[in-house]
Formats: sequence, structure tokens, C-alpha cells
Amino acid sequence: MRRLAALLLLAPVLGFADPATAVRATELRQAPASDAAVVAPLAENAKVEALERKGGWTRVRAAGGAEGWVRMLGLRYAGAGEARQGDTGIAQLLNVARTGTSGTQVTTGVRGLDTEQLTHAKPNAAELKKLQGYAASGEAAARFAAGGRLKARKVDYPKAGG
Amino acid sequence: MRALALLACLALAAPAAAQFNINLNRLLDVGKNVKQATADTDEQEEIAIGSDMAARLLGAAPLVADAALQQYVNNVGRWLASQTERPGLPWRFGVLDAPQLNAFATPGGCIFVTRGLVARLQNEAELAGVLAHEIAHVLKKHHLKAMQKSAQLELANTVVGTFTRGNDGANRREKLLAAGSELFARGLDKDDELEADRLGVVIAARGGYDAYGLPAVLQTLQAMNPADSGLALMFKTHPAPAERLDALAKMQPTLDAYADLPQLAQRFTGAVRR
Repeated sequence: MRRLAALLLLAPVLGFADPATAVRATELRQAPASDAAVVAPLAENAKVEALERKGGWTRVRAAGGAEGWVRMLGLRYAGAGEARQGDTGIAQLLNVARTGTSGTQVTTGVRGLDTEQLTHAKPNAAELKKLQGYAASGEAAARFAAGGRLKARKVDYPKAGG
Repeated sequence: MRALALLACLALAAPAAAQFNINLNRLLDVGKNVKQATADTDEQEEIAIGSDMAARLLGAAPLVADAALQQYVNNVGRWLASQTERPGLPWRFGVLDAPQLNAFATPGGCIFVTRGLVARLQNEAELAGVLAHEIAHVLKKHHLKAMQKSAQLELANTVVGTFTRGNDGANRREKLLAAGSELFARGLDKDDELEADRLGVVIAARGGYDAYGLPAVLQTLQAMNPADSGLALMFKTHPAPAERLDALAKMQPTLDAYADLPQLAQRFTGAVRR
């Protein structure tokens, strides 16, 4: 896990005080609920800063300084066009080469899960055995859930396309 | 099977139809066998094929050598799987030692998430959202169906090409596996991915988690540089995060009733960031 920890140090934690855009016109609300008081209107494509999330709601700061809650699914983060610069550093670690005229990227030198590695991988029976050894029983998982105060609920699947 | 039928029609229409008669009969028989075999792919075979595919994935990237982390992910995943219509499958979950951001499912219940993706998650509800999306692929047999489709076409073409290839079970299994390896690089149909998102948020909610874990992960992905090399394969094989978020926003009924549930950030951080 040391390697994962190192990766975490390198990677800025995403998520908060992130620039975002409102997908459609909406309102900033005082609390994360659709019946909470309206603080200010928010225009379509308004730029905001996302501050924190609570359930399906995100607290944002609008350009004028007003703060309030909007539906999290109504926000889009900096996407294509105003994309963040930067890379998780993988490209620098890999020996990236372009082959022929196809323009297909072929990475070599580092094992991982890109197209090439996936297509040419040989089965690893020893790792499969380890995978089986880590399995949790239904009973153990239920105890684990209780430890986190998770309670099973009945929720129906949505209809297709709904 | 449509391609096969078309080829059969072409063969009949050809001037040399007579010389094809015997071969054509055989071809049609083979077609029938494939169809029959498809229907007979029972759960044991599903599990066996999935294990073979999992072994190949593990050949590309081994498990992260951290037993506590692997057991933690198995507990979260197994708890979610218990809330579904296939609780009896031999569900296995693993964190792959790969820097890229991705997650995979194989038929029969083997599910993987990369350490690159785990490193970007904020809490257990987000991990649950990712695992639940993959669980949904297994429940709906998305990979198995895509592989069968692809293997049937391949088999049909081979038969037409040589008129000699047999259709024993081993051959079919081999074709299926080849189709499976290809599938991880090519991806499933867009509709399968969007269905797995819809089912995934519901499965997370059934497990008692904040149902917005998966949407939060999609927003994290969306906020990243789309040219990031760690995202290349995931973005190639999945609809864009914005499209997936739009589809979830239209889902009815909404998941607001299941939004205020635990996220378990502390337990997640303790398990992942030691």
C-alpha cells in the first residue's frame, strides 16, 4: 500500500473548491433540500466553485459571492475545452511509442491495464488463487456492514430509459 | 445469426449452388449447434469462463499485495452482492496493481478495481458505487452476451471460410475467451454501461450507502484532464462521464430518498491510506 500512498501524495485531491458550471438555470438554496429557501437564482452556464457535497446536493459559491446548495447532477466540472492541465504522471513513467500510420498508442516497459497488455496477457493462476483466498462470506460481509451502521433497504430497479 | 443467414442465401443464389449443397447443410447444422450451445451456457460455465478471464486480467496486472485492503474491498462488494438477485454466485473482488483508472467485471462474479481508481475515491460509498456498477454487469450478463455474439460471428465466418472447422465445446470455449480478452479493450455497448449505472446506484442504496457515490466518482473523472493517460482505456470503453451523469439525472424515481445515507469516509481512509 506504500505505493498507493505515494500516488495519493502526488495526486491533488479532487473534489472540492473545484470550478464547475451549472448545466441548466436553477436556484441556490439555503439547505440541501428542494423545499429549502432560495438564496439566489443561478443562470444556465453560470460558473461556480463547488465546496462540499451532501447526498444529491453540492454547496457552491457563485461568481457574485453568493453561496448555496444546488443538485449535484446539475453541475459539470471543467470538461473538454477548459480541461485541467496535468496528468497523473503515468505517461512519463511509460515508454510511449506510436506505431506505423495507425496512430495507435503502444505502451511498453511497464505492466498495466492498457489495450496492449490486456490483449496479450497470459493467465496468472497464482494470482487467481490469491483472489479466491481474499473472498468474504455473506455472513462476514453482513457483520462488516453492521459495523458501519449500514442497513439493507428495499429499492426497486428503475425502468429502462427511465 | 443474421450474418449466417445472409451468407446462406448468397450461397444458394450462386451459380455453383449444387456443389455447395452438402457443405451448406453442414453449415446450417453448425449454426443450430451454436444457437443451442448458447442457450445451454449455464451458470457453471459462466463461472468457469469468468475465472479464465479473471486469470488473464491478473496476468496483465497482479493484485495489490495488501491483504487487509483486499479483504476490505471484498467485504464492501460481497455486502452489495448480497442485496441482488444473484447472491449465490462466488463473488470475488480485487484491487489490481495498475496506475490506470478502471474497473472490470468478468462473468460469474469476479470484479476488479485498479489502485489508480481507488486512489481517487473519497469514501466507501464511492467505492460501493463503482463495485455496484460492475456487479450490475455480472447480473445482466453483459459481457457473456457480447462475447457470445462476437464468438458466433467469428465461428460462422470460420466455418464459411474453411468448411472444415468442427464445433466441439473446447473450440467454442476458446472462441469465447478470445472474444472476452478483446472485449476489455473494446468495451461493451453504451446501453449496457448506462444500464449498469442505473442498477449500480440502486444496488448501493440497497446496501444502505449514500446512493450518490457513483455520480460523485463520475464527477471526479469529469473534472480530470481528459487527455490524462490513466483515463485513456476507460474513456475509450465507456460513454463520457457527462453523458453518464445526464442519464442518471433523468432516472425516475430519483434517489433523493437514499441520499442522506452513510458515506463512511473514515473507514475507507483507514483501509486504503495506511
